[in-house]
Order: sequence, then structure tokens, then C-alpha cells
Amino acid sequence: MEQEYWKWPESSWTSKEIDWKSAKAVTAGVDVGTTGTQAAIMCDEKLFGYANIHTGGSFKKSAKIAVEKAMGASGMALTDIRGIMGTGAGGRNVEFAGGFMDGVRCQGRGARFLYGPEVHTVVDLGGQSCTAIRLYDWDRVWDFMMNDKCATGIGRNIEFMCDMLQVPIQEIGPMSLEVETDPEPVATSCYCFADTETMGLFGRPEYRSAPLTENEVYAKYLFAVAWRCLSTIGKLQPMDVGDIRIHYPELGFTGGLAKNPGITKRIERELKITALTSEYDPQLAGAIGAALLAPAETDRRQRQ
Amino acid sequence: MNFKQLAENRHEYAKAWKARTGGQVLGYYDPYFPEELAYAAGMLPVRILARHEPDDVSTKWIYASCYPVRDYVNQFFNGRYGYLDGIVDTGGCEWVYNAFEVAMNTTPSLKTHYIFIPRYPNAPTSPGLVVSELKTMKKVFEEWTGREITDESLDHAIEVYNKNRLLLMRISELRRAYETPLFGSEAMQMLLADQVMDKAEMNAILESFLAELQERPPREDRVRLMIIGSETWDAELEELVESLGANVVIDELDNGTSYFWNTIYEQKDRLLAIALRYLGRPHSALRDNNWRRRSQHVFELAEDYMADGVLIVKQIYCVIHGTDNYAMWKLLRERNIPYHFFERDTSLPEDETRQRLESFINMLKPGLVRLRGWHEPLVI
Repeated sequence: MEQEYWKWPESSWTSKEIDWKSAKAVTAGVDVGTTGTQAAIMCDEKLFGYANIHTGGSFKKSAKIAVEKAMGASGMALTDIRGIMGTGAGGRNVEFAGGFMDGVRCQGRGARFLYGPEVHTVVDLGGQSCTAIRLYDWDRVWDFMMNDKCATGIGRNIEFMCDMLQVPIQEIGPMSLEVETDPEPVATSCYCFADTETMGLFGRPEYRSAPLTENEVYAKYLFAVAWRCLSTIGKLQPMDVGDIRIHYPELGFTGGLAKNPGITKRIERELKITALTSEYDPQLAGAIGAALLAPAETDRRQRQ
Repeated sequence: MNFKQLAENRHEYAKAWKARTGGQVLGYYDPYFPEELAYAAGMLPVRILARHEPDDVSTKWIYASCYPVRDYVNQFFNGRYGYLDGIVDTGGCEWVYNAFEVAMNTTPSLKTHYIFIPRYPNAPTSPGLVVSELKTMKKVFEEWTGREITDESLDHAIEVYNKNRLLLMRISELRRAYETPLFGSEAMQMLLADQVMDKAEMNAILESFLAELQERPPREDRVRLMIIGSETWDAELEELVESLGANVVIDELDNGTSYFWNTIYEQKDRLLAIALRYLGRPHSALRDNNWRRRSQHVFELAEDYMADGVLIVKQIYCVIHGTDNYAMWKLLRERNIPYHFFERDTSLPEDETRQRLESFINMLKPGLVRLRGWHEPLVI
């Protein structure tokens, strides 16, 4: 079978240490994105199980499969979960969910779980959106900014280009960093321009005074992606604390592209910061956030 | 009152008005057009509004402009505005002027006039300049209609238009209250209908609507939003906001509240009175250059109408608001007013807009997250 370069690996895990039956609160969050679906099950705010799968043709089925994989062989059933919250572009299609919460709030709450109280700026590099979120207090949203019409900075575009360039999606990032000096990015105004310019860099090297290596082409391309994300981050409202203006406080990446160092390292370099790291998969932030928000939201709705 | 229907049936209304009165219908693009003069000449001034329909002819004539301007051309060639006797352009943005030129060059039978409204409304020479432009326009309208524009007819037009503005202002005042009985979508539809109807008829409708509003029970309080940015020609955004449990309580749009915000103070020189009204209206982004007043007006509206947050909505390829938005961001940041910026087309991408609006409204919603921003000190 022909290799599918765009396909990122799916994963799932269920804890064997945590006894879910003795937990006071078992909650779940399902983040149904445009390219990936994640489910997270929390027992007393500890991660009990997760699944990260490709979103199929049906949001409903994808959500169900993800939760079932996260429950694994623990013997847990959907009825054992106290609150289930849907989020993401297809989050309203989670039939078994008790509620829906917007992606920004869930990503923010999930990022606090992943990166702790230090994180103040969250950059969600998703399948069809790039969202920059600024947090304050514990998990409250100070401001957020989403990409508008341009699709250069989104995951689906990277998937597409990996297929075109015939390079596995997990490898394009590290390969792009293996350059002596980072070249200028390709067009950043539109993914059509970025993609065609990138493909054009491979054509007719004899007409080029200095032909580019493959890694340099990847670097130019991923720099353009990072550039788009930077413009979204740059539009966030700064926070003022007294006379001090905080422009880029501690930053954490979430979403699938957070696992691509070719993008994250370039953003870090341009912002002159080092992003926070986590032991958890950054793609799970939305689902974890939804699971953590589920009990409060369920209680609030019951009160109404 | 079904204002939506009134706005949607604007072409049928204008045709019926023409058949009934035998008068001429005059189209205009820009809110700086002094409608009183046309009204005094017995004409019906109607605002040319964009609409949602497939664009199949405009590309040949105009391209690389915002969608509404292309839609003007598209509608024009598709015969939607076949009943117009004339069109006036008031030197709005260059793209609108292009649409005006296309109409002028392709339809010789159409009466056309260009009136120059200066880009610096507060310049000392501007009132005199506009008065001279109005004198020319008065002569043109007299030629078109064969009817003299007398002081009495001007006084009558000013009276009708001032009454219209007063009624709209009184209705707008109701939106200031908590638990306002009026939703943003209804208010926007009302304003759109107002711009395409005979003001005397509209005044009667507004009077009965005002009486109806006084009897309406208060609606539950919601997150209060303000809209600024490019003009819109429908209430889709307001409806979407309402479906998400919030309400647009005020806007600062050229075809929104800025359309009626100030009034004509009568004086002996009628043309000067009209000129001062249009120069003194809330600045449009195009004319908010050296004497910047718009930012202060936006802030005052946000404060007076107790807006929890501001939506800055720009039409894609809108050059004017593309450059002006940054000044608005600066103002809102300085005042700590939460805002969210996004671009839209004439049609609104529903799902994508819903996602971002939902996030923004949740960000402001008391009870879900504490109301933050300018009402409370920041805690990090």
C-alpha cells in the first residue's frame, strides 16, 4: 500500500493504577475537531484515560469511538461518567454529552492542566484554526484571537503538504530545523500561494543561482506557517499589571501542530521565549479542559 | 412591526411609490448624501443596499473590491434597480465610486450627479465648500424634476427628516436600559427599512412601533454587545448573537446609529444648516482623519449603552476599515474594553462565526466566568 505521509499516529491509553470505582467524580470531555478527535476521562481531576484518533466521516461515530478507546478495558460504561462535555468544531454532535462548551475556554482550562499555573498565553494550533488565547486568574479568558480567512497556519494544510512533498508528517518539523541558517519564509498571505511557492522551489534547479536543499524548502514552508500563527498571537491584547505591560508571558502550545517543532521552535525564536513543556500530549488539551469543566457546568445547568 | 419584510420588499415599495406619486426615485450609496434636498425636490432617496445573491456579471466590470460594491454592480446589471431615475455619489470610498462610474458609463439614460464631501469634515473651509456643492446639487435636482426647491419645501423636508431622527433616537434610547425590550436584529432591520422608505410614511410606522415598544414586557438581561466596523446590509450577525444568548445593544456603523445620530439645527441659511448636519455627524472611518472624533464617539457609546464587549467586524477587502480598525483596537485596549475582531463577507460564514462568537460571549458571561474588563480591577 502506498504510504500516507499525512497520517499522524493515533493513540490511546487507560490507567491501570487509578481505581475509577472509588473516584468521587468521573468526568469526560470529547473534543471533536475537524481533523482529529480526542477524548479524555478524568477521575477526581486526574487523567484516567485518553484517545486521540482521526475524525472520520461522522462526528458522532468519531466521538463514540474515542470515548470507548479512552475507557479501554477498565470496565467503565458511559453511564458511569457523571458529566460529559463536548467541545470543538463538531462538539455539538456528541450525542451522549450533557453539554457543550466553546473551544477557547476548554483549551484554556486544558492548558492550565497541562502546563500548570505559569501558562498565560495558549496557542492552539488546530486542524482548521489557529487560536491564540490569553488567560488570567486560574482559567479565565482575557482575550483570544482566531485566524481569519487564511489557512496557512492550520494543520490540514500541513497534512496536505506532507502528502505533496512525500515526507512523513512527524519528520518534516525536525528535518526543517536541520539547516544552518533559517531562510526567509515563502508567501504568508494565503495557503495557496505558500503551497505553490513551496512546490515551485523544487522545479528546475538549474535556473537557480543557489538551489535549495529539501530541508531548506521545508524550513521556508514551516517558517511561513509559524509566521501566520505569529500574526494571530500578535493581535492578542497585552495585559497590564500596574505599569508593567506583559506582551508574551509564559506560553504553551496545544493542538496537533504543537508536536511539530518546525513550527513551535520558530515561534519561540521570533517571540524570544521558551515555551512550556508538559508530560501530556498537547493535542489532548481541549478534551481535558472539557472534562474538567464538565462537573461545574452540569451543576450550573441543573440549577437553572 | 415587520421591518425585515419592509427592507426586503424595498424594490416593490419604490416601484409602488413611483406609480402612486409619479415622482422620481434617486439611489445613493454613501451616508453623507444630503437626502433633504432630494426630498424637497419631490424625489424619493433610497439607499442602495447589497444583498445575498450569486454574482455572475460584476467581474467583467469591477474586481478586487469588497463584495458589497461588486454586488451593487451585479444588482444594477441584473435589473434590480431598473426603477431608479438617478444615482448620486458623495465621494465615499474609491470602490463605491467605481460602481458609480460603471452605472454612469453603461446607462446613459440614468441621471447622475457627484457631490464632493470633503475628507476633513472639521476643516474650517469645509462648511462653505459643502454649501457651494449643495447649491449646485439644488440646481441639478431642479432641472431633473422641473420643480423649484423653495425655502418652504426645504423646511418641510428638514422637519420630516428631523422627526425621523428623533423617533429613531427615542427607540435607540430604549436599548440603553437593562432588560431592553428591543433586540439588536430588530433595530438593525428597522434602520435598513428606514433608509429605503419615504420618511413621512416611515415616521408613522415608527410612532406606532414606539407605542408598541412601551407596552412590551422587558426581556431577560443578556450579555450586551456593541458592533463597530464596516457597514452591514442585513441583521444576520445580530440574529446569530441573539441565538447565543446575547444582545447587540448598540452599533457604530454608517448605516446603523450613525445614520440618525445628529439632527439639523434650523437656521436662515437652510443649505448651511444641512451642510453642518452632515459634516457634524459621527465621522465615518473614511472621514476620520486629522480631526479624530470617531474613537471618542465609540467609547461614549460603549459606556452609555453599558456594552460588555465590542465586536469589530470588517468586510473582507474593506480598505477604509482595514486601516481604521487599528485605531479602534488602540482605543479599546487603552480603555480595557474587551473586543473581538473578525472579517466577514456579505454573507456570514455561520459555523465559523458561531464558534468565535460563542467563545467571546462565554468570555464575558457573568456566572460562567466573572465579568471582567473595565468594570472590575484585573487580578492575574
